[in-house]
Amino acid sequence: MPTAPAVKKKTGRSGMKKVLGNKKAIALFVVPAFIVYTIVVIAPIAVSFYYSFFSGTPGLKWEFVGMKNFLRPFQDSRFRDALFVNLRYIGFVMVGQVGLGLCMALLFRFWLKRFKNLIRTLLFFPVVLPTVAVGQLFAKIYEIQPNYGLLNSLLANIGLQQYVHAWIGEMDTALPSLIVMDIWSAIGFHAVILYGAILDISDDVIEAAAIDGAGSFQLFRYILAPLLRPMIVTCAIFSFSGTVKMFESAKALTGGGPGNATKSLSMYMYEVAFNYNKVGYGSVIALFIFLMCIVGSFIIGLFDTKEDI
Amino acid sequence: MKKRVLAALMSTALLAGMLAGCAAPAAAPAAPAEEAVAEEAPAEEAAAEEEAPAEEAVEEEAPAAEASADFSGEDPQLEKHLKISTIWAEDNDNGVLINMIAKEYQENVNPNFTWEYEYIPSADLTQKITTLAAADDLPDIFAYESGKPIVELIEADKIVDIGAELARIGDTDYVTPSATSLLQTLSGTDTIYDLPLGLNVEGFWYNKALFEEAGIEAPPATMDEFEEDLQKLQDAGIQPLVAGGASGETWGSTRVVNAITVRTVGNDAMKKAADGEAKYTDQGYVDAAQKVADWAAKGYFGEGINTVTMNAAGQMLMSGQAAIFYNGSWFSGSLNSEDNAAGEDGIGFFNIPVVDESISSATDYSMNCGNILCLDKTKYDDATAWFLKYFVEHIGDAAMSTQGTIKGYTYSTKAEDIKPYTQLVLDEIDKATGAFTWYEATMNAEVSKTAQENVQLLLTGDMDGQAYMESIQEAADMAD
Repeated sequence: MPTAPAVKKKTGRSGMKKVLGNKKAIALFVVPAFIVYTIVVIAPIAVSFYYSFFSGTPGLKWEFVGMKNFLRPFQDSRFRDALFVNLRYIGFVMVGQVGLGLCMALLFRFWLKRFKNLIRTLLFFPVVLPTVAVGQLFAKIYEIQPNYGLLNSLLANIGLQQYVHAWIGEMDTALPSLIVMDIWSAIGFHAVILYGAILDISDDVIEAAAIDGAGSFQLFRYILAPLLRPMIVTCAIFSFSGTVKMFESAKALTGGGPGNATKSLSMYMYEVAFNYNKVGYGSVIALFIFLMCIVGSFIIGLFDTKEDI
Repeated sequence: MKKRVLAALMSTALLAGMLAGCAAPAAAPAAPAEEAVAEEAPAEEAAAEEEAPAEEAVEEEAPAAEASADFSGEDPQLEKHLKISTIWAEDNDNGVLINMIAKEYQENVNPNFTWEYEYIPSADLTQKITTLAAADDLPDIFAYESGKPIVELIEADKIVDIGAELARIGDTDYVTPSATSLLQTLSGTDTIYDLPLGLNVEGFWYNKALFEEAGIEAPPATMDEFEEDLQKLQDAGIQPLVAGGASGETWGSTRVVNAITVRTVGNDAMKKAADGEAKYTDQGYVDAAQKVADWAAKGYFGEGINTVTMNAAGQMLMSGQAAIFYNGSWFSGSLNSEDNAAGEDGIGFFNIPVVDESISSATDYSMNCGNILCLDKTKYDDATAWFLKYFVEHIGDAAMSTQGTIKGYTYSTKAEDIKPYTQLVLDEIDKATGAFTWYEATMNAEVSKTAQENVQLLLTGDMDGQAYMESIQEAADMAD
């Protein structure tokens, strides 16, 4: 009996090896995907690069301007503001989503014995809500006019009237309000992924650490964190790719305001290209975002070192 | 061999599946376009075929039309299919009127006329029209924005000189002189390139009960009286002012800045700044912005003005949560509705109080023609001209009899039942002897966006008048 699956396995492996050794077979699988990838990813990047040397809109006042568009970001205070907003947003939201997601995952594994599934479902629920709906929901929560929203009502009712604010209408609080919303809406996603990774860690390892006298912090620092690192890095990449393109949630909650307080690079790029009809300069900003993605992914990848076991 | 065939078949299926997958999302949104797709699907060739004869036809017909140039007789019932794209749904506002006129024209005049009506969300209008203009694929008739956006289409020679066409078809008298003058001012031309779809005045709507409560007997006529009244309302525990301040709706707030700027600097203040004859940072402009900042600092706009939408602001006025609201005459639509908590006579209107009659007079109003209609130049022909003739001759009466509104055309009927607030607006329009435009009318998109975004910071005190106007000037300099 035990030999049968072994033989099968061997045949499967050799079959796979045979397929992967055949360059034509590889080409058959790779080329179609590569063609599509070229059309939808590489070609637009190339066209964007080409457009960045022009001013105006293709078909309307379209003129070659050389490197002028590449120099504009250095003189454009709105570009700098948008970049700064974007970087702050990425930093706080990534830490919030992954960090709190991890905390939640640990909570499910070690402390929550009852109602675990219910709480997990509730936590995951915001993930499936459309961003625009979440934006509308939080706009109501933060509301101050014509009536107090949930947050301001709560503050007013518990005697903290001095903290009642136009949360999304003031420069200092608009971005933090947006960050809170985006952490809330994605925390469940990261918690579920990390919880799955924690379940993969054998109980024996955790018990052995406990017998050796490891406290909660030591257990996390020396056992859980190293074993969870690949999944934490994966979550960080998910979170980074979601935050670097910051657009729809800010659009839905604050519209980028007040002023430019919550306007990201993507929003500014859209505005420049499609509202101001400066497709060339918009393309330069798009290329900058593309570079940001590459650099950010590279930095996160540095944490993904292999374990020496 | 069989394996090879199988592998080839499977990879073909895989490729086809992927391509189908890629095609699906593109096909899906195209579906609602229905007729348009069906017509355009016979694609480029058909388009090319259509264009070529069209050009010929224009060349041939133009002299013919000039030769005959007779639009006084009966409609020749030319075959024509028009594509009309606007920002109004078919069952709403101007959408109703346009479709009604098209239907009447088809039923009563030209059975060979057909049309398709497309709705474009107003937020997408400029972008969509710019893209279509670049692709030389503008709809036959389309809604657009007067001011700077239309100037770009005029400069690119994309739209019909409607003034000249109205003269050719003998219908110049149907667009009122005030609307014509306003449209000419906005496009900076001595002819009109657009058809008006409204004639609106703007000013301050006020809650009469709250004025009475604060001991104010009559609406203010001068800026000093206005400021006194604002203080009286504040002292009586009433929120004196409300305006649209939420992102995307801050035009409600820039209008207030405009009101003060015009009354202190002059009716052509914004045009001068746009033309470079003055700077946005000149003292008069800065002082006007600073006054709004001061009012906000005194709490006249209430809490969280930056989160108030125009709709919410209107509701606050009607429900007595705020005393004064700057808006246009189109607000009468909300006031006439049964939801108006203030009732049929609870809300009044006054023009922007004056500072000095010699600078800007009390009968000078902020006026506009709303969104306007343009005609694509490449698709325009005699058949469209006949429809244009019917349109301008009938829309004035249609608007008055069905909606009780003025659209910038002469009318000979009276609505059977004009609602009180509509009558109020009509009376105000009658008083107007001069007009000035809104704050962003002469600004391009970039400057306009800066003005509208940063006014939020002016209202929160994060910018003072000087910094606000400097940001606008910087955007104007960058845009050049």
